[in-house]
Amino acid sequence: MRLLPTAVATCFVLACAAPALAAAPGAAAPGFTITDTAGKPVSLADHRGKYVVLEWTNPECPFVQKHYVSRNMQGLQKEWGAKDVVWLSINSTSASHAEFKSGDEMARWMRAQDAAPRATLIDGTSAAGRAYGAKTTPHMFVVDPSGKLIYAGAIDDRRSANPADTKGAHNYVQAALAEATAGKPVTVASTAPYGCSVKY
Amino acid sequence: MIRRPPPSVPSFRAFVAAAALLAAPGVLADPVKTAHVEAELVAAKTAIVPGEPLTVALRLAMEKGWHTYWRNPGDSGLPTTLEWSLPAGVTAGPIEWPAPRALPAGPLVNFGYEGEVLHLVVLEPQRSLTPGGTLVLKARADWLVCKELCIPEGADLTLALPVAGTAAADPRWGAPIEATRAALPRPLAGWQATAQGKGPTIELALVPPAGAAHPGALHFFPYAESLVEPSRPQVLTRDRDAYVLALPVSFNLTGEHRKLAGVLTAADGFAGGARAVTIDTALTGTLAAGGKTAPGAAPAVNLAPQSAPEGLSLIVALAFALAGGIILNLMPCVFPVLSLKVLGFATHHDSRATLHREAFAFAAGVVLTFVALGLALAALRAAGEQLGWGFQLQSPAMVAALAALFFVLALNLSGVFEFGQFVPSDVAGFTAKNRTVDAFASGVLAVVIASPCTAPFMGAALGFALAGSTAVTLVVFVALGIGMAIPYVTLALLPGWRRRLPRPGPWLVRLKELLAFPLYATVIWLVWVLGAQRDNDAVIRLLLALLCLGFALWTWRIVRTGGARPWGVAGIAALAAAVACAWPLFRADAGAVAAAPAGRTVAGADWQPYTSAGVGALTSSGRAVFVDFTAAWCVTCQVNKRLVLDSAEIRAAFAQKNVALVRADWTRRDPDITRALTALGRSGVPVYALYRPGKDPVLLPEVLLRGTVLDALAAL
Repeated sequence: MRLLPTAVATCFVLACAAPALAAAPGAAAPGFTITDTAGKPVSLADHRGKYVVLEWTNPECPFVQKHYVSRNMQGLQKEWGAKDVVWLSINSTSASHAEFKSGDEMARWMRAQDAAPRATLIDGTSAAGRAYGAKTTPHMFVVDPSGKLIYAGAIDDRRSANPADTKGAHNYVQAALAEATAGKPVTVASTAPYGCSVKY
Repeated sequence: MIRRPPPSVPSFRAFVAAAALLAAPGVLADPVKTAHVEAELVAAKTAIVPGEPLTVALRLAMEKGWHTYWRNPGDSGLPTTLEWSLPAGVTAGPIEWPAPRALPAGPLVNFGYEGEVLHLVVLEPQRSLTPGGTLVLKARADWLVCKELCIPEGADLTLALPVAGTAAADPRWGAPIEATRAALPRPLAGWQATAQGKGPTIELALVPPAGAAHPGALHFFPYAESLVEPSRPQVLTRDRDAYVLALPVSFNLTGEHRKLAGVLTAADGFAGGARAVTIDTALTGTLAAGGKTAPGAAPAVNLAPQSAPEGLSLIVALAFALAGGIILNLMPCVFPVLSLKVLGFATHHDSRATLHREAFAFAAGVVLTFVALGLALAALRAAGEQLGWGFQLQSPAMVAALAALFFVLALNLSGVFEFGQFVPSDVAGFTAKNRTVDAFASGVLAVVIASPCTAPFMGAALGFALAGSTAVTLVVFVALGIGMAIPYVTLALLPGWRRRLPRPGPWLVRLKELLAFPLYATVIWLVWVLGAQRDNDAVIRLLLALLCLGFALWTWRIVRTGGARPWGVAGIAALAAAVACAWPLFRADAGAVAAAPAGRTVAGADWQPYTSAGVGALTSSGRAVFVDFTAAWCVTCQVNKRLVLDSAEIRAAFAQKNVALVRADWTRRDPDITRALTALGRSGVPVYALYRPGKDPVLLPEVLLRGTVLDALAAL
């Protein structure tokens, strides 16, 4: 039985080639806790039970400016804010990047735009941006009351930086919120975002 | 894009152009300078010849460090556009785009141009044009130019050209335009390209013509947005005659895709010297959005009807699953069971029919358990659960229970007690008659124990199963089960082979006792895993429970062999003590998992625990980061850690390159780590990733060698 010790040894050696595997497609919106412009922590979990819109923003970006100059973004924030949808504007520009805005600077800019999100969040470590895979500003996400993502992508179908293009554009966020709040499935749940890159 | 204004209204520019022509007949263009770009229209020839196509170009010359975008801009940005206002008798074709470059922007990747680029357009002047006059070509060009900052810019451009019977090459732009045209991506000649969706990847297979040299590194730039993830690495492998480029499917896959079209670049050129070619081929198979965060509503998009290649790849996956199943038998957590089973074959002098029945019962147990696992996996996946193949061992209760089970089995093999002594003789008789049921149960047990020990190459089949439909998942799991059962069934069906098994003899006892030691080793490993998951207190509780269990089993033998009754009472008391010791391990499971400190046993002094934000902060500060994705229950991880990562040589190399060391401990469920693994296209540990600032992460092989790590570090 010289084979036996060999077999036992072989089985120990083979142990070295045995990784475990897992799969993880996740439909749940990643949780986050980041501070608002006043330094108060805000969590996605705080808003369970309500529709939440996440808007990735950066005042330095012409595509963001397009939607604020045209008052397109403020219009959405006010319309849906009145319907108890929680709107969170997130700036994931890395604290080390030249375009980084402090809480005060960001609050001032949002005020100047007459913007009306529930909160403006400063994601200086870009952790929330990375967790969502936010690529562009703007990049929009809609989370349903159960915490599931129901829309991710562009704000509308006019891929330009021209403010005039917001007129006549098909606004995906508007459509997703209108369908979801009416109890219908979201027809277009995913589009390619457009804009400036998030400054990670 | 083509507009024909009324032929009247000679513009001021046309007037200037005409005036200039009087002085020096030829081309007149006017470069426009914006903040970061110089733009102009240029022509390949000095004149328009009626009826002869003429190539013109929008030339953009960017300031150093700034870039404009290709037709698909990649992760962000906008393509350059050109809107013509042409005189009567001239029409313009679409932009013919030179091959783009991949331009990293932090973790994102854009497709575009730096330096100078000529966007070629072919003009078709009608034959009816009369030589002698001058035509003024006007176009509105709009582009987004970015460095850190993005600026939308545009210009109204004009190009005035005489109409003549003949034309010479433009002395300034003729050669550059011809060079650009020569380098334009053209259809790939001589090679056969096919594309197949396989869940989260698209496999672009390229069969070279005979004798073609290796094309070097390949990169595919898709025309469609939201089909291929721009920032994820495209892995090139050689599969027999074909090169296979694995394209990661976009995180936000949208729309239906029935073909794969785009530009493929090769570092060393394809046969014939072309470095950029166009690909336009049917896309079969099924696509699933790549990991990261995809809306729940859009997980899978069905493609064109499945054709032969899909069937073939399913067969390949099944072959892998089958082979993986067979290899599972050699895994240390299965081998003891295999040994027990072979032991059974060797000891029983049964009729062939009995052996057949037992072998098939065992096979049925294995296959049905795999099917149950597959169904559970599919159900959990549908529920959006984050789960893993090895996750059974992420529960301390499961670890403790398995440790107790293996300890009891080991004591049995060591001869501390016999299972037969446990049961009254009539029940023992029942068990004997129902060895078929026993065989079935041991099949179930073998699979349950096997699940944490999947062989590396089984990953492919498993990934395929996870990415595919529920039906595909089940088929793959059935194949795994059949593979695992094959050796037993073979031994049962082929008496000749069975005869090669050694004859029963005194060595059987030795064999049985020897086989106890792998089981004891497994118990040690499980205790260590529990220690990593919980704390010293949990370890001592488990060890005390095992001690009491051992004592109880020993007293059982005393009682069975005619010992005094008090021994029995002591045994029952010990059993109660064992349960009491182990009880908190089972009760406090969920809470304790969350409360236990992270990475205690696997993190070391040089290593910091993983957070995605931490890695991001390190890379954005310009440091390379090496992340060791590991788990206490992953044996390969521990071997790699001890032999490679902890060696003085490797530690010195890390220090010399100022690489930040991060350990992602997946011993317990951690969604942040699961997401990072998914983003790397992996579903399990070990994974070794070298994150570099502004570049794609480099993945090192699962079985780590010092040379591989040193090479990766040298390339930094």
